[in-house]
Formats: sequence, structure tokens, C-alpha cells
Amino acid sequence: MEYLLDVQDIHTYIGQYHILQGVNLHVPKGSITALLGRNGAGKTTTLKSILGLTPPRQGKVIFEGLEIQGMRSFDIASRGIGYVPEHRAIFRDLSVEENLKIAERQKGDYALKAEMIFTLFPDLKRLITLSGANLSGGQQQMLAIARALIADNRLLLIDEPSEGLAPVLIEQLMEAIRKLSAESTVVLVEQNFVVATQLAEYYVIIEEGRSVKDGKMKDLVNDRETIHRYLGAA
Amino acid sequence: MKAYFRKNLVLWLTLLTLTFVFVTAARGMETEDWVITLLRGLSVGSLTFLVASGFSLIFGLLDVLNLAHGTLFMIGAYIGWTVYVRPDTFVDLLTPVTLVLSGFLLKDLWTALSTRGLLKGRMKHILPWAGILVSVLILFSVLRSYPIAIWKVGDYAKSPVSISYLASQGLNILPPPAEFDSFLPYLAFAGLIVGSLLLAFSLSLLGSGKQAAAPRVRWRSFAGFAALLLAGILFFVFNNALTDFLAGLNTNWLFMIAIVVAVTSGIGLGALMETTLIRPLYIRPIYQLMLTLGLSAIGIEMVRAVWGRPEFSMPRPELFAGTGDGCPAASLSGWWQNHCSTMFLFDGRIRVYNEILIPIIGVVVLVAVWMLLQRSRLGMVIRAGVQDREMVEALGINVRRVFTQVFALGVGLAALGGVLAAPSIGLSNLMGESFLLNALIALAIGGLTSYPGAALGSLLVGLLQQFIIKYGQIGIPIPFTDIIFKPTPPIVPASTILLMVIILLILPNGLLGKKE
Repeated sequence: MEYLLDVQDIHTYIGQYHILQGVNLHVPKGSITALLGRNGAGKTTTLKSILGLTPPRQGKVIFEGLEIQGMRSFDIASRGIGYVPEHRAIFRDLSVEENLKIAERQKGDYALKAEMIFTLFPDLKRLITLSGANLSGGQQQMLAIARALIADNRLLLIDEPSEGLAPVLIEQLMEAIRKLSAESTVVLVEQNFVVATQLAEYYVIIEEGRSVKDGKMKDLVNDRETIHRYLGAA
Repeated sequence: MKAYFRKNLVLWLTLLTLTFVFVTAARGMETEDWVITLLRGLSVGSLTFLVASGFSLIFGLLDVLNLAHGTLFMIGAYIGWTVYVRPDTFVDLLTPVTLVLSGFLLKDLWTALSTRGLLKGRMKHILPWAGILVSVLILFSVLRSYPIAIWKVGDYAKSPVSISYLASQGLNILPPPAEFDSFLPYLAFAGLIVGSLLLAFSLSLLGSGKQAAAPRVRWRSFAGFAALLLAGILFFVFNNALTDFLAGLNTNWLFMIAIVVAVTSGIGLGALMETTLIRPLYIRPIYQLMLTLGLSAIGIEMVRAVWGRPEFSMPRPELFAGTGDGCPAASLSGWWQNHCSTMFLFDGRIRVYNEILIPIIGVVVLVAVWMLLQRSRLGMVIRAGVQDREMVEALGINVRRVFTQVFALGVGLAALGGVLAAPSIGLSNLMGESFLLNALIALAIGGLTSYPGAALGSLLVGLLQQFIIKYGQIGIPIPFTDIIFKPTPPIVPASTILLMVIILLILPNGLLGKKE
């Protein structure tokens, strides 16, 4: 099978700490893959390592057939990877429109994608002149995802989209992610197991910096033992 | 609206109190006195702002406290002086500078070559350094005996002090042009070009290995290289003609050229400093602080070696230097007719250059940089980067390049301040340090990373200093006593520090600074 993203045995250090000790990730094109695991297992670091924000010291990251590990983050991102970080990282001093425009990689990206984004997140159109600081958590999350959609990204790395959101908003957000996965491949970090099972097609479980189990989500749902052992869910 | 005022109540109260203090201070003077004091305050505030704004942009985005900023302000002044008073020296320098820079325009080619992995093993570490050493030796030996017509620091009659004095009397006679004597010009050019190519290639080898893919070599870089070579040769061929042209030029135009050259040099110096010295130290902020402090001292010593220790003046451009009939002018139109150095405003005599032109340029720069920050893509990236650099990089934006641009812009602003200050306060080795101190106080008052804060803080510092100086002359009558208190000169710097302390006690982030 051909993978859009193929992460092979990466090891990442932060300072002197050996955080990732061998993570493997094979993401088929057009799929949603969820990274599961307990707090501090290394899910966020895995996303950051793919993007070069915490560059791996060992192992390979292959995106669209090209080894991208060791490149600088902006170079990796501009090859077609969008990032929606934990806690959203909306630029507070920029307006909603500027928050979207800054993600342009080619002039006119915003004009081209604006309509699609506003159909996906109608709220944002209304808030367009507001500054990022004045948005609610849910609005910020939508803006963060919208920002990753402005440029022509074939892969989206989304970190904890449902964190701190009301159930109604989570529903809306899941719907949006499902829609956009028709065009892009998604790698998702999600603590909310219910959300993850409903969205993702594939899963990878990360435990203490290692990828310990992967497969199809529908198999995991019935695998009580794995769920209990690695995710602590009943 | 109501919520906004409630939230910023302390700020508004502080601003009202400050306004009240300044209005009271102004009411204690005759109209002419307070108008002059106000304009002088604006003038000092504008120069302070040019230092403070660059410093704050750099600190905001790069987290670098550039303690060399004052020195760069001073270097801007000295470069401006050189172009303005000694155009022959400036023209002589054009050829070697363009030739040395030419090799760096082939950056694409060097990166493409160095990522090929030509060097293996230990050679990878030894050869680049050897290349740098050889190229520096070549460049040094050529530049040592390259003919440049220059003043003599040791000889009083030919020192910048005398040259400036003569120039201000309209007696600026340039010495005969310097000629090649010991070796052929072609050999010198070849040496400079080879040295430049080798240096650029070696530096690129040193930085290689971090890039995964080689960039495409574009024809544009070859065209740039060729254009710079051609420019260097043309500057040499038409050296005398260009010198005569500049020396015969109206001083207003020459001053504008001096400003452009000083700002361009500042931008270049800033870019060079960020890419070579600051960049390797982003992970070691303390080292960076030590580095900028050291660079500041080195800069001062270099200026002393080239231009000498004594202070000297820079003649004002012709538009602001008239003293003959009709001067001081009674109005702006009178000034425009007679090009007076001074004019009357509300019966007070003001210097047009210092008290009208500098504040105007200050406001123009304030607005221009504000527009850049608010309206351009670069400005958007800067505002976003101040908050979250990592996220900006994750969007596919080369933040490192933006860092270089911002550093260059900041140093360019400082150099502009320097060259503007020179005709007003003269040139001295330590002129930058006092402005840096003023700028730091202004930033503490206004808010360290706030651009409007830099403007407000600079204005307050300028006004406060000038009002204290003026009251030092006329005295402050203490109510209910016969005592007239005259602030002495040491109180001037102390007063701004006192203001800073008071404001920081009330608003710990400065007037317009954001809460951390």
C-alpha cells in the first residue's frame, strides 16, 4: 500500500529527555488516523516531530515519497502539511481575516478558499473583523482548522480539537473534519475516545514514546483488552 | 466602550495626570518659552523614537536585547558625515565594497555546490575554515594598499574636526584623488573578486549539511553578480567624474544622498550582524547579550580609530543654514525664501532643522512603520511572530528570514536617527550611548514591545528633559515661599529615570505594554 505519510522508527529528544523512542506511523492517502494514548505518551511530540518543530534525531519521515526529516519546519510545512496545534495558537493581535491570510502560501489562496471555509464554518464569516483575542474557545478552534485549510495542504495534523469544547460544538467540529477529510488526509490526536472512534478509520496507540499497536478503528472498538490496557478506558 | 474605560482606568488616569503636569509646566512659562521647549522636546523625542522603535521591534520579535543599537546609531551618523563632507572618500570606497559583496550574490550556486557533499570526513570541517582564512588574507592584503582618499586623524589640519569646520565655512576643498602606486588596479580587482568568491563559498560550506535539498540555481543570481561586478568597475572608471559631481552638488541633495547611504549601510550592517553573529546564539540569550555589549564597545573603538576621538560638527544642508538678509525668518515662507537657519514662532527663536524638520521626519517614520506593520504581509508576520514564532514557522513561513529583515530594519532606523542627529547635536563617539539609555527608559515607560508605546515613551522622555532644562534657566517658584528652585543639569537624566520608576510602580508593563 502506498502511504502519504510514512514515519519510520523516529527518536526525538527534548533537552536531555528521550521523548520518542521509536514511533512508526503509516498513513494511507485520504484516511483519518487517530493517535491514541495516555497523557504524556508522546502524541503531540509525534506531530511536532513530523513537522520538524522538535526534529527527530533518528529515523525517517517520508511525505509523498520524499524524506523530510532534518528539513526546517517552514520548508516541511510548505510542502503541503497543515498544523492545528493544541490550544489552537490563534494570533491574538491579528483579526480573523488576518489569521487566515497569514497562512497564504501563494497570493490569492485566501480569495480562492474563503467560500469553502465559510461554508464549513459559517460563524467565522460573521467574526471576520474581530481580533483573535475576542473569540471564544470554539470559535478559536474553528479558526485554527480554517487556517490550516487556506494553503494547499494534502496532510492535516490536528492536535486535540475537542479539548475544552461543549458537546454541541464537538458535534459541529467532527462534522467539519469529516467533510474536509474528503480532500485531505488527517492525522488526529484525540483524548476523547468517543470522538476518535467516530472520526477515524485507523488508529495508532502510543505508549511511553513508542508506537505499540495499530490497525483499523473498527477492530479496536471491540478489543476491550487493548482499550483497557493502553487507554485506561473501561 | 464603558468596559474599555473601566479596564484601562489606571492608564487613563496616569495619562491625564501626565498631561496635567505638562500643561501646568507650560503655563508657568511665557508663550515663546513653552513653544520652544515643546518643539525641542519633540525633536529629542523623535531621535529617541528612531532608536527606541528599532530596538523594540527587534526585541519584540527576536527576543534580542541589542545593546549595540546606540553604537549603530552613531555609526549611521559617521557614515552620513563621510558622504556629506568627504564625497571623494565615499566614492573611493564604492568599488572595493561592491566587489567584495559580489561573490555573495551567487548564494544559490554556493548552496547547490555545498549540498552536493563534495567534502568527506574531516575535510568537511577543515576546508571551509581554511577557505575563510585564505580569503580574508587576500582581501586584507588588497584592501590595505587600496588607494582611498581619506582624512588623517593624527594631523589636526587634515582631521575631521578641521574638515568639518572648513566645510561649515563653505571652504570644503577636497584633496587630490588617491592613485594606485604599488600594484596594478587589475590585480587588485582580481584579488577582491577571488577573495569574495572564496569567502562566500567557504561560508556556505560551513553552513551546509542542514539543508536536505539543494535549491535550483537561478539565472537571476548570475545576473546580480555580473551587475555588481560591472558597477564596481564603472565606479572605478568614473571615480573622478562621480566625485566632482557629488562635490559640486547642492548640499540639500547631498544630505539626502547621505541619508540614503547611511540607512542602506545600516540595513546591510544589521543583516550581516544578524546572520553571522546573532543567529548562532538564539539558544543562548545571555551570550547574545554579552555579544551585543561587546560589539558596541568594538564599534566605538573602530569609529575612534577611523574618525578620531574629538567631537566635531556636521554642517547643516543649505536649506537650513542661511544667516544673511531676512534671517531669522518671520514665517515659514520667509524661511523658504531665505533658507534661514532660524525663524520666529510666537516671538521665540527656533532652529528650523532641529525643531521643525526632525519632528516632521519623526512623525513620517512613525506613520510609515505603523503602516508597514498594519498593512503589509511582512507586518502581519511580525505581529504574529511577536506572539508565537513556532506557529508562524509551522504555517510555512521562513521566520529566520523575517528575523533578518526586522533586525536590518531596526538598525536602518537607528542609522537614520544618527544621520539626522549629526547636524543637530554633532558627532561624538558616545552620542549613541546617551540615546540608547534614553530609548531604554522610553521603552520601559511606553511598554517594551509596543510600537505605539515606543512613540509615547520617547515623546515623554523628550518633553520631560527639555522642560527640566528650560526650568533650569528660568527657575520654579516654590509656592508660599520666596525660593526659586533651579533644576541643575544632573537632574535632567535623573528626572526621566524617576518618571520611569513612578510609571513602572503604577503600571508594571509600561503605559501601553501588554501583560505578560
